[in-house]
Amino acid sequence: MQTNTQTENFMDEFKSSEQSSLTVRNIGWTLFVTIISIYGWYEYRNFMDIYEVGILFATAATLIWLGAFWKSFQPYTIWVTALSVLALWTYHSYGNAISANEEAFFLKYLISSQAAIMWMNALFVFATVVYFVSIFNKSEFTGKTATFLVWTAATFGFVGMLVRWRESYLINFDYGHIPVSSLYEVFILFVVMTALIYLYYEQKYKTRALGGFVMLVISAAVMFILWYTFVREAHVIQPLVPALKSWWMKIHVPANFVGYGTFSIAAMVGLAYIITSKVKEKNPNSRFVKAMPSLEVMDDVMYKNIALGFAFFTIATVLGAMWAAEAWGGYWSWDPKETWALIVWLNYAAWLHIRMSKGWRGTPMAWWALIGLFVTTFAFIGVNMFLTGLHSYGEL
Amino acid sequence: MASQAEIPQNSELRTRREIPKKPKTNRSNVFMSFLGSMNLAVTLLVMLSIASVIGTVLQQNQAVQDYIIKFGPFWHEVFGMLGLYHVYGAAWFVLVLVFLLVSTSVCVVRHTPRFTKDMRRFNESLSKKAIAHQPNNALFETNMAMETQQGYAQALLKHNGYRTKLHQRQDGSITVAGLKGTFNRLGYFFTHISIVIICLGGLLDSNLLLKFRELTGDLKAETRSVSLDEINQESWLGPENLSFRGSVNVPEGDKSDVLFLPYENGYLVQKLPFTIVNEAFHIEYYDTGMPKSFKSDLILYAEELDEPIKQTIEVNKPLYYKNYAIYQSSFGDGGTELNLKVHPLLSPIENSIPIETAINKVEPLKTPLGVFKAEFVDFKMHNIVPTTEEEQAKTGKKVHNNGPTMIFKVRNDQGKAWEYENYMIPVKQEERWFFMSGVRSSQADPYRYLFIPADLDRKNTRFFKYLVMLNNPIITRKLMRELYPKNPDNDQKSYDNQIELLEQLQVLFRQKGFNGISEFVSKSVPKEEQERVSDFYFGQTSFVLQTLYMELLKQEGRVEAHNEDISEFDKIWFEDALNAITGLSAYGPPMYFEMVSFTEIQATGLQITKSPGKDIVYFGSALLIIGVFFLFYVRQRRVWVLIERNPDKDGLKVTMAAKDNKKLPETTKEFESLVKQVKDYNIKINTQDSEKEQKG
Ligand code: HEM
Repeated sequence: MQTNTQTENFMDEFKSSEQSSLTVRNIGWTLFVTIISIYGWYEYRNFMDIYEVGILFATAATLIWLGAFWKSFQPYTIWVTALSVLALWTYHSYGNAISANEEAFFLKYLISSQAAIMWMNALFVFATVVYFVSIFNKSEFTGKTATFLVWTAATFGFVGMLVRWRESYLINFDYGHIPVSSLYEVFILFVVMTALIYLYYEQKYKTRALGGFVMLVISAAVMFILWYTFVREAHVIQPLVPALKSWWMKIHVPANFVGYGTFSIAAMVGLAYIITSKVKEKNPNSRFVKAMPSLEVMDDVMYKNIALGFAFFTIATVLGAMWAAEAWGGYWSWDPKETWALIVWLNYAAWLHIRMSKGWRGTPMAWWALIGLFVTTFAFIGVNMFLTGLHSYGEL
Repeated sequence: MASQAEIPQNSELRTRREIPKKPKTNRSNVFMSFLGSMNLAVTLLVMLSIASVIGTVLQQNQAVQDYIIKFGPFWHEVFGMLGLYHVYGAAWFVLVLVFLLVSTSVCVVRHTPRFTKDMRRFNESLSKKAIAHQPNNALFETNMAMETQQGYAQALLKHNGYRTKLHQRQDGSITVAGLKGTFNRLGYFFTHISIVIICLGGLLDSNLLLKFRELTGDLKAETRSVSLDEINQESWLGPENLSFRGSVNVPEGDKSDVLFLPYENGYLVQKLPFTIVNEAFHIEYYDTGMPKSFKSDLILYAEELDEPIKQTIEVNKPLYYKNYAIYQSSFGDGGTELNLKVHPLLSPIENSIPIETAINKVEPLKTPLGVFKAEFVDFKMHNIVPTTEEEQAKTGKKVHNNGPTMIFKVRNDQGKAWEYENYMIPVKQEERWFFMSGVRSSQADPYRYLFIPADLDRKNTRFFKYLVMLNNPIITRKLMRELYPKNPDNDQKSYDNQIELLEQLQVLFRQKGFNGISEFVSKSVPKEEQERVSDFYFGQTSFVLQTLYMELLKQEGRVEAHNEDISEFDKIWFEDALNAITGLSAYGPPMYFEMVSFTEIQATGLQITKSPGKDIVYFGSALLIIGVFFLFYVRQRRVWVLIERNPDKDGLKVTMAAKDNKKLPETTKEFESLVKQVKDYNIKINTQDSEKEQKG
């Protein structure tokens, strides 16, 4: 009894230092997200089924949590919202005709989905270069510029997706769908997700020197988007096949892309790890080694990404199975896309086990993470290119 | 007592590599530790991955012939024996799965005692030496009172979410032990048990039982496509079958109480405990011609139902009944009724034959060339193709509907078949209208199209009239004699020869086109004469063809006399007709099927499943997801604060230590922050004390 009161007395020590999580900023943030979500619901409630309403509010709750957990996500969301609302409003004032994207200045050059996506592409490639410059010129300012460029690119990317969502309804009401259904659309989702997740880790672990490496994957994806746009005209909005018309798509696909994104980051951190440790062997005091984060930090970031990716990939695969059960009548059909998701999953399960049990760290795990990217990439696009199956979206 | 405490009993205290081999290693123990070992687990995971890769790269469940063509007879045999054509059902694959299941179970069982103990224990009685050897530790001295130090330490740990436990030693020293995040261990149990649950659920839904029944000779797949009552008894499954997934096509207005399950190289028939009626099928299209949605109005009758269930199902919106689920999975033709006209292509008189038939029917056709069978395979209401750029500029439409087609096969008495795709209405090509008919003699080939030019009424009447004239040399003879009577200067014989040559050329052209004439010349005329002769023959052939054509135009009333000029349309039509006739030599059996009218009957493609394992798998999946988050985002952490009297001088000696069950950088950081807080507090108290002293 006595110790108890004593402990309580000591607990008072912490009362004063305890910072309340209910800061003015967080309250404002919560209000903002709530109002926007309710407005969105009110505006579009006639087009949503009960599941979609559920998804909307669950997304809002997640956003509130995410913004509180990661402060920088708040201004990002506000920018994305503001630009998207501006775009929707401009369309509205042009009578909701899709041709407004050729007539209205803002739409044509900045925030129609095509314009925004092109800005995103350019900014990502530019950011890659600036990141690498910053490793060598060691200027804080250059590094900050690179980070800013990635934020901007990610903003344009997200705006591009949201506006595209609206545009799909403007082109033809029947075509309307969330832009995560074709290979073109998921590539944009992929680069934006990857960039955002990377930004989080960059901020948390102060690993700006890894930016260039991660941006390599993103730039490669941007090249693909450009090729796909200009050579294949894949950016044209197409209607959905009946199998994809489901609220499951709204959660299954994004969950998958958290996985793809983190696995890609892990692979590129792995690459940075391998190069750094090679250079370090030869010349421990080289400028490059000094600019890079320590090997331990890189190893840790690699693990953190794979863990996050594994968790979300698990969710995505389970959701996929549930959707398959509803659309095709079986939760598991050994369809190539399904099977490759399993392969990716098993691969990272093995990676995690080896790390846990054998205590392997460093170079071999970095190589494995890098090879894992090839497995992941095959699951992502290789399956669509080389194999046939039920996952009909985006055959190359 | 004390010496016992010196021996760390909990393996948690050692890093895993240091776990000493248990002295008693009997055989079953070795076997169990092999089964539960991480090496085996990783090996199995990798094996499963590789097997899965094979299963996706090598197309599964194809026809045997396809594999033979692809790999040759030898490798085909080898691959077949390894079960590579049905990897996911192969014995070795199932064996790997079973091993994974066993291995994971053994792993869980073996880890359970240690992990449950680890979740409960605070290890508060850990020896001083062991505390000092923890991965994170710090030692410092202070002048505080023991109770204050202890109270603060306890409060600090509580504040940081630790549960704490005190341990007082005989020498007066006190350990505050903190523990948090035991859910991490729960995560291990959840994930690994969930793997076992998911595998079991999956096995329940697999066809393992059917495999067993097949081994005992009780079951055999049907490989022929025959009507239901001809299917062998051992290919039938009753409602006692635990789980299945199959499909059935039900035409509009029809019903079904069976299901077809693909099995090995054939199928099985599953009897259903209910009857499904397809009242109506609806399909909608986008303006691109892609299906937008398809739905079926179903009625489900079952004995135990007082009222039948009526429901409209569509993709992503199935009908659930007890533990059955009925899905809209596809659509197709349900026996569209066809009204056809068969034009014999070699007949010298107009005698097209009308037939009434339907898709999925077979019609025997007796012809002078032997008996053929026409098998009507499929009917498509719409054939939507992208428009050309010009058309798009004109009409603004992106796609174009070419109208209905039927797919059918014509088989001769040796069994050789030609497959056709005939359009019902003419299709516009470069401003002209054609009846298109595709033909191929192998499924692997693309269709080659015959373009029959439509006349001014967009009909094929003129074409078949002209064809009949070409097929009939008697008409030619009569016509020629009428139009070009013998010149009195010429002798009868050479005049007759002349006419006969024209007839022969006409037959040759009809059989093989202009190529036939070149061939004939190069075979039967001396080299030096060939050019001259072939020029002459070509001229003569054109002459016959034109003469016949003019006669036809005259009959139609398009011209009055044979030497009149003809319209541009008729000129082009003539060229197109000759092209089409030339193409007839590669058109297979000499008949053309004209679709006169039809009544469309659609069928809905249903997929019906009984999947008792589904909920088990879902439960396992939920457990898996929760477990994974526990594993990654809850860390099991321990902290010790050992407070003892400083033996050398006044005051206390404080040893702090921390350990996470995973080696992570943040453990060190958090530990350092704890140490700093304790030290800061001590400084604060010290200064307060000294201030008080000064005041006092
Ligand atoms: C499909 C099969 C399996 C999957 C997906 C799986 C998944 C996982 C995951 C995700 C972790 C967490 C790793 C981390 O925290 O970094 C883990 C840990 C672990 N697994 Fe597995 N596992 C499987 C099978 C097995 C088997 C067969 C064994 C038997 C040896 C095993 C033993 C362990 C152990 C001992 C741990 C460490 C738990 C700890 O100390 O926290 N696993 N597993």
